[in-house]
Parts: sequence; structure tokens; C-alpha cells
Amino acid sequence: MSKNHHHDHAHDHTPIIIQEKPGYYEILEISVRELLIEKGLIGADEVRKQIELLDSRSPALGSKLVVKAWLEPEFRSRLLSNGNAAAEEMGITIYDNTEFTVLEDTEKLHYVIVCTLCSCYPRPILGLPPDWYKSKEYRSRTVREPRAVLAEFGTLIPDDVEVLVQDSTASQRYMVLPLRPSGTESFSEEELEALVTRDTMIGVSIPKINQN
Amino acid sequence: MSSENLVKHLPNDIGGTGCSGDKVNIFERDLYPWEKRCHALLDVLDYHKIVNTEEKRRGTENIGTEMAGKLSYYEKWIVSASNLLLQKGLLTPDAIAQKTKEVAARYNVIL
Repeated sequence: MSKNHHHDHAHDHTPIIIQEKPGYYEILEISVRELLIEKGLIGADEVRKQIELLDSRSPALGSKLVVKAWLEPEFRSRLLSNGNAAAEEMGITIYDNTEFTVLEDTEKLHYVIVCTLCSCYPRPILGLPPDWYKSKEYRSRTVREPRAVLAEFGTLIPDDVEVLVQDSTASQRYMVLPLRPSGTESFSEEELEALVTRDTMIGVSIPKINQN
Repeated sequence: MSSENLVKHLPNDIGGTGCSGDKVNIFERDLYPWEKRCHALLDVLDYHKIVNTEEKRRGTENIGTEMAGKLSYYEKWIVSASNLLLQKGLLTPDAIAQKTKEVAARYNVIL
């Protein structure tokens, strides 16, 4: 960054820095972005601002929703009836105009989320999905043999608990509201949030006490 | 496989087709900076209603089986976006060719 670029003015930005020599697809990305900016189809700062928005989203937001739902029955009802409104209530904007639905686990039912077509995921709440969520193996197998897939994540669901797989779409995104583990009655909000990992909200794992 | 099945299931429609032997490769990594920029770029195109999420997904389906098998996730996204921008007449093949040459030269890369 140049020395005369003072930061006493009111704009936030993440500089775009290319460290290594770019490959073909990175060059294509740079080219398309620059052409769109030159043509005035997108603003010069928009991609950087969107990166900052993406970076501000992480599973910690989802954990807060889950713990609030565990602690406040009225919030749980609102979260289950209208995920978008409940998230907005917590200051989380659903920036991608998708419908956010929360599915509640019970003693007899466990949900798992997948996107068989591609990679739809509640990004405003959980951040960007892990690679395995986008993989052919996870997408193609989960609807057919969810228990076998869950076992690969170290998650064994008892036979008397039904496993329900929910497929996502470009406009419909889902998150699991897992069961609060017994033995956590005296836990603080922070301690509870630590149990609610990303994978428990996708449904490939369940909250456990004594995690590493 | 009967041809009927090809009609019923487009290339991305793979739910239920997997074999138990194909284990899920479970690992964590950060995106490369260009992958995150690519993601952000497509989000911005969606905000401007230039390319929406479903068009982008279909675009990754329309690159053919060979490319779909060889390209990584965000490689497919940028190719899909480029094709859609060309189809919509917002960019031209010449402009992309000239710009990629210029960008490659900027980083001392020979394409």
C-alpha cells in the first residue's frame, strides 16, 4: 500500500494481495472481476466488502442461536417457526435472500443436512461450508445411507432414533437444532456454546461433554 | 445405464448414487485467497441480479462431464460465471482473451 494512503478516513477494506504466481483459473478470476469493474457492472470495492462480510460469518453465530434456543423456550419457538426472523432478532442478516429453516432434534429423531445438487448451506449463519460438505461422496451417499456416513464422522445414532436427511436448495437453507446434552444444567452460556460445533449444526455430530 | 436415466438425472443430481466404499474425505482447510475472491465475486453478481445462484449451479453442470470431473469447486465456479457472462452478452471472448493476457503478463506468467 502506498505511503500517502492515509487511514484517517472512514472506509474499511481488506487489500487484495496476490502472493504467489497465479494459475490459469486465478488469472481468469482476476480478469473477469476487473472487466466487470471497468464496465461499471460491479463497484470497485464490492468484492472486498463481500469478503469482509464472508469473514464475519462463522459457526459461532449458529452456536449462539442454538444456546439461546436451549435456554429460552419462547426464542426456540420463534427460531423454529421463522429462522430468518429469529436470526435477524440476534442481529444476523440473511444477506443472500434465502429461507433459513431450523430443524429440531428430539429423543426419537435426528436430522442431517446435505445439498445433493451442489453446496447450498446456511452461510450467513455458519460461514462457508467445509470441503467434505461439497464433496461427491457426502452428497451422493448421505441420502441413501446416512448412518454409514455419520459413522465415518464418529457419530453412532441408536437404532431406535430415526435419522432424517434434509436436502437443501438454492433458496432453502437448513440448520439442525441439536439436543442439549444431559449433565449441562450448570453450564454457562459460553460453556454451552463451546459444545455446539459446526458439525453438530449440520447434523454429522452431536454435542458432547468432554470434547478435546 | 439406460439413456432414460441420463434424462431423469442431470450431472449434478447425484443424491443416492454413491457407493459405500467411497468414504467421505473429512479434513479442514482454509480457502485460497482467490477462491474466497471468486466466492465473493459470485455473491456480488447475485446481488446485482447479473448471475443468480441457480444459474451459477446450472453453469457448473453445463461444462461437460470431463471438465466437471477435473476442475476443482471454484475452478468450476469461475468457468461457469465466465460462460454465463458471455452468454448474456456482458463480456466478449475477445475482451476476456485480451484481459487474461494482460493479467498474466502482470504476474510474469505465460499462459
